[in-house]
Order: sequence, then structure tokens, then C-alpha cells
Amino acid sequence: MPKWGMVIDLETCTGCQACTTACAMENNRLPGETWQDVLFYSEGEYPNLNLSWLPRPCMQCENPSCVSVCPTKATYKDEGTGIVLVDWNKCIGCKYCMVACPYGVRFYMDEAPVVQPDVRATYPGEGRRSWNPPFKMPDEYEDPSKGIGIQPKGVVSKCTFCYHKVSRAPEGVADLDEDNPETKEFTPACVRVCAPKARYFGDLDNPNSKVNELIAEKGGVRLKEETGNKPQVYYLSGGGAPVVPGNRSRRT
Amino acid sequence: MAMMTETAAGGTRPSHFLMHLAVALVLLVLGGGYVLSEILQFGKLQFNTTNYGIHWGFAIVVYDYFLLTSTGLAMVASLWHVFGLKEFEPVARRCLWLAFAGLVGGVVVLFLELGAPLTALWATPLNLQTASPLFWKVLLVGAYTVLLGIVLLGMVNKPAAGRNPLMYLVGALAFVITLVAGSVYGMMAMRPMWFGGEVPVVFLIESFMGALAFTVFFTHLKNGFNHAHMRPETRALFEGTLARMFAIAIALHFVLHAGRAVTGLWSNAEGLQVWGYLVSQPLFHMALWGCVALPFVLMVLPATRSNGLVQVVAALLVMVGLLISRYEFIIGGQMVPLFKGTWAPPLLQYTPSTGEWALLVLAVGLANTVYAFAAWKLGAEDRA
Repeated sequence: MPKWGMVIDLETCTGCQACTTACAMENNRLPGETWQDVLFYSEGEYPNLNLSWLPRPCMQCENPSCVSVCPTKATYKDEGTGIVLVDWNKCIGCKYCMVACPYGVRFYMDEAPVVQPDVRATYPGEGRRSWNPPFKMPDEYEDPSKGIGIQPKGVVSKCTFCYHKVSRAPEGVADLDEDNPETKEFTPACVRVCAPKARYFGDLDNPNSKVNELIAEKGGVRLKEETGNKPQVYYLSGGGAPVVPGNRSRRT
Repeated sequence: MAMMTETAAGGTRPSHFLMHLAVALVLLVLGGGYVLSEILQFGKLQFNTTNYGIHWGFAIVVYDYFLLTSTGLAMVASLWHVFGLKEFEPVARRCLWLAFAGLVGGVVVLFLELGAPLTALWATPLNLQTASPLFWKVLLVGAYTVLLGIVLLGMVNKPAAGRNPLMYLVGALAFVITLVAGSVYGMMAMRPMWFGGEVPVVFLIESFMGALAFTVFFTHLKNGFNHAHMRPETRALFEGTLARMFAIAIALHFVLHAGRAVTGLWSNAEGLQVWGYLVSQPLFHMALWGCVALPFVLMVLPATRSNGLVQVVAALLVMVGLLISRYEFIIGGQMVPLFKGTWAPPLLQYTPSTGEWALLVLAVGLANTVYAFAAWKLGAEDRA
């Protein structure tokens, strides 16, 4: 069984937010509450100012604190893929997982909108659906037991690594690459649209995968190792330079 | 259970039960009416919690405040029921009814805050997520509620009965719930303001101190805020052991609270800069000096310690101070945004919305309604 992971090359990423937009479209996200985001960092003062950025999906941790704290096992680690998912049928909306996530990548539906106006009022939902986005994914992909679809009221959601695509990938494949016609349709949306090809997606348990090659050869590092969460998202920052902007090396 | 209460002088005076019940019902209707109308109309969109970082808002502050007051009161009652401290017999019954009333108020607020409260009823006990402190908290609070209910039923049926052996379990559960409630925050290594093994101990001391404050206030309320109306044994307790115990609990709370603030101010660790903000706010000093240090002085000086009205003032200050401390702790632990980049504000701002304030009014109203009704019809204040 694969253990899917992601590698993000910070020296290649342009901070264009195509990943953020694709994620929002693919996963019916509310404006401003995208599972995948690009964080921006300003350093220094004018005229010696530097702008840098850090793409940040859910880290799909090996040892996720969100799973440990969930009192109902609504948040769980899928054994077949290594992806952390939320079962909306069990989620009680206590928000403990949001409090316990060191990376701030979880979203509760019953909050005031981050971006005004509240589009939920413009596109009211039916049944369990909290809203009816005009760009929603096909109904057959929806699976509340995995937190896929239109987020219901009163529950928490998070990045699924596009589980609805990834889980249908051919068995034994080492990497899901948008340039490979055989795996293109199974590649997560944020990876598929990345124009400078800063994202790679593959099986961390497969020694022949491109992600493992990149991690080994370019010194892939993980965020906030001190928490012990062991993310399955690795960053390439130019030979061991800090990942979070500060002194990161840059191509010239 | 009479409508007239016997006084120490052997006379009678009009009961305050109905007045208490009426005021409590007004608060219940006002608070409950407002918050329910808001939730039914807008969901919880009007609350000031956000996906940006303040996930647990004033509702959780109120819930924890009432729950920990309840467990503290059960521990105070255990001084008689478990440890056999005869001095505490006059207040044990009152403490247990107050514990139940506080529990009801807190749990109702929690259910209004949860996204799917009905799912919580089955999903929490059936999924056995033993790694989660919240799982244990729910399980223990459930057992505590049932056992406390049984103890209170026993008191209603046999008003003259003495110590109840079931209180060993109730007292132990109250003790463990308080520690687990502290662990919910203390285990959060990713939030340095909360993290630490001392947090459950802090919760334990605060819970006990709050319980003593409520015991003092409601005992004086029952006696019309007049020391002369107290029974001799109650008066002896209030002028002796209980007042001293209250002073010690306040002192411990002061040391722990000020100690955490000082170490927080000293540290450079990311997440602890919130202490600098908190200490710069008048609310922090109002709580620390006005609602902890001042009551301590009032309770430590022999001249004021045994004065009934001073005790009431000290109790009220402690009750308010604890709510502020709980607020600063829970909100403060979330004010530093986790991983949002430098475009996010260095500290998130939060003030409770009107609806969130209404939750406090609802909890106060509901808890007092339960207690006043118990005092009126179920003998909560008999022999106290």
C-alpha cells in the first residue's frame, strides 16, 4: 500500500497561487478558506525589502496530533494511502483538531466568512450541504466519510490530498505526475496545475519514487519537526537552508 | 424545604427562594432567548470565533468555568462525605446541589457551542478514542453526572442521612475530571502558552478556590448576607477553617498565575509573546491585583477574615477574577497565529460577541434556576 507524500521545491515555486485556486475549485472551498494556501513573508524595510512565500497544504502527518485529540475518531489516518481524513458523519465540531494542528490547516464551517460577502448566503445549500457552490465537484466524488464534497454545517474539513483522485491511481505506481498521461487524472489538483513544476507527488514507501529521490538528493526537510508530527510533505529549500523564509537561498 | 427558614436565633424570616428563582428565570429567559434566536437565525456566524485562529471562544471559557466550579464544589463536599471533616457538614449539601446546578449550566453552553451535539452523544462513547483527553473528559463527566444525580436523589429521599459512600466515587471523579480538563490544554505542545505539566495542577487549585468562593457566596446569600442568621456550626466554619482554606487557595492561585506570567514574559519562545500583550492590558491587572491579591489580603487579615460582608466581597472578586483568568488563558493560548506568514497580524484579536455574552447569562440563569428550585422544593439548603 502506498504512503503518499508531497515534495515542494521552494526554489522553483513562484507563489502564483495556481495551487490555491485549483484546490478551491476542486474541493468546493469557501473564498479565503482554501485547504491549500501560499503564505507570504515580508522581511526588512523599504528599500531593503524582501518578499518570500511558502506553499502550505495539510502536512498529512505520519503521527498527526489532530488524530490523537479527536474524541470520536472522526479524524483518522487512512491505512491504504497514509492520508489524514475527516469523517463528517462522526465529527462533532468540537474544534479540538483545529486547536491541536501546528500548521493551522483545518476549517470549521460555522464561522463568520474570512472573505466578505458571505457567498453561502448567495448560494444557499440544500440538505446537509452548507452551501451550493457554482463550481462544485461531480456528485459521485462526494464521500462524507472521508470529508470529500461540500462541507456540511457543524463539522471541520481539511485537505484530502485529493483522495477522490489519488485513491483511484493504478496499483504499484511510484509517482503521480501530471506530465505522465497514465497518472495525470489521479494527480492532486495543486500538483497538476503547478506551472513551474514545484510540486511532486509520490509514494514515500517506494524507494524508486521521484519524491524519495528528491528528498534524498536535495535534502528535503519537514516543517516543525519539534512537534513530532512527522509531516509527509517535504520542502526543498536549497541544500538545508531554512524552509520558513528568513535566510533561505534563492536562485539568481 | 419550608418556605420559612429557621434562623440561629430560633425565629423565622421570609424565604428568599422564590425571589432567587424569579431572578434566575429572568436571566435564563433573557440569555437563552437571545442566544437561541441568534443561533436559529444565523447559526453561529455571529460568534467572534474564526477559522483564522481563535477556534475556542467565550463559550468554551464559560463551559470550563462552570464545569470546574462544579468539580471543585464536589471536592469541597467530599471533605465531609469522604474525609469525614465534620466541620464541612453544614455546607456539603449546598455544595453538591451547586455542583449539579453548575454542571447543568456548563454542559448546556457546551452543547450550544458544539457543531453536532447530538452526534457527540453517541460518537464519543462508542468510538473509544482513548488517546484523546476530550474522550476521557466526556466519559468521566457522564459518570460524574449520573453518580452526582444519584447522591442528590438520595438526599431528597432521605434528608437526614449522613455521609454517602457514593461520594467516594463522585469526589474521585471530580478530582480526575479537573486534572483531565487541565490536560486538554496542558498537552498542547504546539501552543506554548498552554503547554506544561503544571496546567492540570493549576486547574485543580483554581477549581477548589472557585468552589470555596461559591460556597461562601451562596451560604451568605441563604442567610441574607447577615452573619447573625447563620447556624453556630456554619458560623464557626466560616470564621475558622473555611476562611483560612480560602486564603491559602487564593495564595496558591496567585503564585501560579503570577509565576506563569513572569516566566512567559521572560521567555523568547514563539507563542509566549502573548504574555507581553496580556500583561499590558488592564484586564490582567484587574484580575491579578483586584480579584486575587485583594481577596487574599482580605482573607488573610484576622480582622477582615471573619467578617461576613468582607467574605462576600472576597468571594465575588474571586468569582470574577477566575472568569477573567480562564478567559485570558483560553483565548491567550490561541492569539498567536499558527503558521499564517508575516502578513497575518502578530496577535489575533478577539472580543466576545453579544451572543457569546448571552451564553454566560444563560449559564448563570440556568444554574441559578436549578439551584433555587432545589433550594425551594428539594431541600438543598436544609440544615445549612
